[in-house]
Amino acid sequence: MKLIRKKAAEVSSSRSRFAGEAIDRRTFLRRSGLALGGAAVATTLPPLMMRKAQASMTAPKAGVDTKLVKSVCTHCAVGCGVYAEVQNGVWTGQEPAFDHPFSLGAHCAKGASVREHGHGERRLKYPTKLVGGKWQKVSWDEAINEIGDKMLEIRKTSGPDSVYWLGSAKFSNEQSYLFRKFYAMWGSNNGDHQARICHSTTVAGVANTWGYGAMTNSMNDMRHSKAIMIVGGNPTEAHPVSMQHMFYAKERGAKLIVVEPRFTRTAAHADHYVRIRPGTDVAITWGMLWHIFENGWEDKEFINQRVWGMDQIREEVAKWTPAEVEKVTGADEATVKEAARLMAENRPSTHVWCMGGTQHTIGNNNTRSYCVLQLALGNMGTSGGGTNIFRGHDNVQGATDMCVLSHSLPGYYGLSAGAWKHWSRVWDVDYDWVQSRFDQGSYEKSKGKPVKPMNTKGFPVSRWIDGVLEDKANIAQKDNLRAMVFWGHAPNSQTRGLEMKKAMEKLDLLVIIDPYPTASAVMHDRSDGVYLLPAATQFETYGSVTASNRNLQWRDKVIEPLFESLPDQTIMYKFAKKLGFAEQFTKHIKVNDDEPLIEDATREFNRGMWTIGYTGQSPERLKAHQKNWHTFNPNTLQAEGGPVDGEYYGLPWPCWGTPEMKHPGTPILYDTSKPVAKGGLNFRARFGVERNGESLLADGSYPVGNEIGDGHPEFSDKLLKELGWWDDLSADEQAAAEGRNWKTDLSGGIQRVAIKHGCAPFGNARARAVVWTFPDPVPIHREPLYTSRYDLVAKYPTYEDRKSHYRLPVRYASIQAKDYSKEYPLILTSGRLVEYEGGGDESRSNPWLAELQQEMFAEINPADANDHGIKDGQQIWVEGAEGARLKVMALVTRRVAKGVVWLPFHFAGHLQGEDRRAKYPSGADPFVLGEAANTALTYGYDSVTQMQESKCSLCKIERA
Amino acid sequence: MYARAIITLAAAVMLTACYESTDVTVHKPGVYKGARDPLLAKQRAPEQQQTLRERFALVQPDR
Amino acid sequence: MARMKFLCDAERCIECNACVTACKNEHEVPWGVNRRRVVVLNDGVPGEKSISVACMHCTDAPCAAVCPVDCFYTTDDGIVLHDKDLCIGCGYCFYACPFGAPQYPQQSAFGVRGKMDKCTFCAGGPTADNSDAEYAKYGRNRIAEGKLPLCAEMCSTKALLAGDGDLVADIYRQRVIRRGGRPQTWGWETAYQS
Repeated sequence: MKLIRKKAAEVSSSRSRFAGEAIDRRTFLRRSGLALGGAAVATTLPPLMMRKAQASMTAPKAGVDTKLVKSVCTHCAVGCGVYAEVQNGVWTGQEPAFDHPFSLGAHCAKGASVREHGHGERRLKYPTKLVGGKWQKVSWDEAINEIGDKMLEIRKTSGPDSVYWLGSAKFSNEQSYLFRKFYAMWGSNNGDHQARICHSTTVAGVANTWGYGAMTNSMNDMRHSKAIMIVGGNPTEAHPVSMQHMFYAKERGAKLIVVEPRFTRTAAHADHYVRIRPGTDVAITWGMLWHIFENGWEDKEFINQRVWGMDQIREEVAKWTPAEVEKVTGADEATVKEAARLMAENRPSTHVWCMGGTQHTIGNNNTRSYCVLQLALGNMGTSGGGTNIFRGHDNVQGATDMCVLSHSLPGYYGLSAGAWKHWSRVWDVDYDWVQSRFDQGSYEKSKGKPVKPMNTKGFPVSRWIDGVLEDKANIAQKDNLRAMVFWGHAPNSQTRGLEMKKAMEKLDLLVIIDPYPTASAVMHDRSDGVYLLPAATQFETYGSVTASNRNLQWRDKVIEPLFESLPDQTIMYKFAKKLGFAEQFTKHIKVNDDEPLIEDATREFNRGMWTIGYTGQSPERLKAHQKNWHTFNPNTLQAEGGPVDGEYYGLPWPCWGTPEMKHPGTPILYDTSKPVAKGGLNFRARFGVERNGESLLADGSYPVGNEIGDGHPEFSDKLLKELGWWDDLSADEQAAAEGRNWKTDLSGGIQRVAIKHGCAPFGNARARAVVWTFPDPVPIHREPLYTSRYDLVAKYPTYEDRKSHYRLPVRYASIQAKDYSKEYPLILTSGRLVEYEGGGDESRSNPWLAELQQEMFAEINPADANDHGIKDGQQIWVEGAEGARLKVMALVTRRVAKGVVWLPFHFAGHLQGEDRRAKYPSGADPFVLGEAANTALTYGYDSVTQMQESKCSLCKIERA
Repeated sequence: MYARAIITLAAAVMLTACYESTDVTVHKPGVYKGARDPLLAKQRAPEQQQTLRERFALVQPDR
Repeated sequence: MARMKFLCDAERCIECNACVTACKNEHEVPWGVNRRRVVVLNDGVPGEKSISVACMHCTDAPCAAVCPVDCFYTTDDGIVLHDKDLCIGCGYCFYACPFGAPQYPQQSAFGVRGKMDKCTFCAGGPTADNSDAEYAKYGRNRIAEGKLPLCAEMCSTKALLAGDGDLVADIYRQRVIRRGGRPQTWGWETAYQS
């Protein structure tokens, strides 16, 4: 064999030194001299990165029994299966879960490295408090006592609303449920979690369009799509394993369309790419719909039978001529028309969206416009179609469903007296007692009548800082926030970093409960009153987790909690004991050694969450699904044979009725081709039965087997009687159902009988394209508060300022009144990297991941780089429009358009150029630190949900 | 130690001065001098080959 | 007899680095050593492609040809392995390798090379199979366990395949036919114009 040495591999040609040529992210990092992996000879390891001793402890040993444990990845909401190999309680190996129905053995970088949780090298190892600026080890009892005493004192002087309970999408369903119950019994609605800043505008927008605010189909179902349009999402980095299903469809002819300001790695795999200016989602969607209407591509029969308000949409869409669309979004007529054509001519087509669409002041308009597009194309309720909304964290769907939120009780029951009474019945506690836990004052009015804090929305997490900093006279509760509990939440995922630092410093008490110290431990300059409590990871406990497609998967415990960490449910119980409501908290939940029994928590939410069908998924059924996950067909997610034959994997909600009813779960929402008893459905009758004299009920469209044979309202005892179906209930069911409806009948009888007659318990209505209860009933475009196109503000202005929303004043017009685009000429936006997740404290503490991304950077276009004399790899300052400055490395790339700067948001630990590594408790600092992108991101909140506007602001750049 | 390189003969080099050599250096591996790997014998067994084929079909099919 | 091969389908590779971290995880490869990595071409512009690269287990392995101490050997099914006890860390194999696969963990600040380390196709090295000694020196021996390289087994999109070259080729060939033999990604036609 001859060996011919070639001059250079093609790869090196991409490593051009000239700014503006294509340089891959890794080459870039290699040249920065920091990445160790790129060079053939590794450079010196910083001492902190030596980890030989650790490695040998977790290596598999020969001749030792190995146990295989099934779990689910704790990173994103795809829900990939994990096979963990455990020897003598040590997690020694990870195998591909090749028979798992979602992942088929696949993982991304994060999933392939979850075993590092079993090393936990940079974990927070024991309870710690800050004393005189130094971290000091304390015992669990001391910590709980001290924190509890302080909270009780705050409660006495300022009321229960002065403590904020910030929960987590990292909780299991059971922990989420317990947490929601916990702060309800503490007596406040001041609790929330990541969903507020990830998909709150989706949940609100989508639920108000057709009933439920969740992904309608599933990642697997995209295998049947003929076209897939992704707007404001980058699944190759954020949900990599979902791409497996998209490639399956694509290789069979499906067209992949990506609409994005940034030429992402997903866009690199697309058939058609549409580059838009950040914040112009409504404009581009209406631009596509303009072509659809113009060419008669809409599904007229679907609209006539199942949609209300499309005529009003037509009026708005008519304004979005190709010229106007190009002016606002930057996308030309041919490009937009091609996207519309691909979606229309390749049906069923599905619509995927993520944070790029949701994180805006008009986020709810964006999400509703996407829904309208799918309604116009008749893509709803069909396999291969739907709105496939990819959720972020592993259990953000579940934590949302459990309503770890400031505006609702589990199952989206809301905060009305009726909702509280329902849950008091489920908890089996006295409603008056629950009421007595709350502040009895009144600080705002609803329809002219004073309302109590128990029934008003608490502060959203996006704005907790305003709860601390805002003048007391302007907030709708007794006092400002004085204590903050970060229970599994990274602060760097929220905007306005410098104000957050101020807020943290003003608090009386800051408590961080997390497996890692997180940036909350170091971003402030407090010297006292900070507690760090080590929580166990989800691999160190067990329970159910809801993936993006609404299915519940059961995780087994892989290892015992490491170090002194405790599972979240145990910590909750300890606090409940200290704060004096443990008895009510666990009235029907067994407690073993301070740990509430997870299965009892599942059973309790099964008894209460009728609205969204979290009632059929008993722990026993979920465990059977986990045990038999190999029996589910990845194309349909339905079990073929085996003990759970015919059921859908993880019993995707709604899984109606009681577990005994054996509903198989609903794999595709609003799919009328199947009976409700077999997972079929129709749009929900949620908004009354008529509007302006027009019927809101479906017309001649109903699921197979529906005995009414037309639209109908939601079920109640009265409707059953009217239909003559009341006697189908047993005597016990009749007793429980009297005076109740499908949401509040704890026997499940009303649901059972409705389904027996082929009817969806929640009625059968039209989707509404116009949400008359929202600030913009027809979704319209409004310019961002900090817009680069000030010339468009006159035509597309933002909202007027509001006095009180979620207890706080909200600014819109008063910010937009000033033109910032001269001083800050570049658009600032943010996104994800595949190696990291969320705030990144966990993934940056995992050496296998951290090694791959060692430097916070900003992507800037070659033209902007040249305008500012910036060369690739140089340190630069990125200054946000509110003045916060980030010192980061410049990555000069055409991936971003001229005039756009993009930042990954997973970094933290640097603040305005200052490395704060020394502030971490020793041995618990992540391997990689960097500037947090959100430090520089600015004010701006959605008009319905208070979602933060973190996908379009302004900045300027200069060489550091 | 030295690399065991056998250089192929090329008469053309002798004839012209300004000539870019088309000669190619061919290296032949020497005889392995390390420890014996028990895996080698194991891999020769048809059952082991069958096991690996089955594993491939199980874990890496195009689904 | 099978010929063990890796194949990375560039149409499917999304540069997610699962292969890289799976390898780190399986063998507890230290920071700074990468038996596998993902290379990107045309980053950020139309035509962007990535491909996962490790030791390709060449049939006629140049590393083996140039090794001055003859520490390389090849299994009958084509996996190229080496004996670290014999390796002198000279780096000659790094010169010879067309893929830059050999890695040298550094032992001190002044660049003294350690023994060469590279992808073993998850087949360990010349010690007792699945022994603690083998794990410490070469990583886990999945082949001896009847399994295949973890990087491919965990690939997020099944872009990376590993196993009997004939089986790998079958899958790839079917995919190519299904795709119509050409990439359809956006901007492909114009990728070389700017």
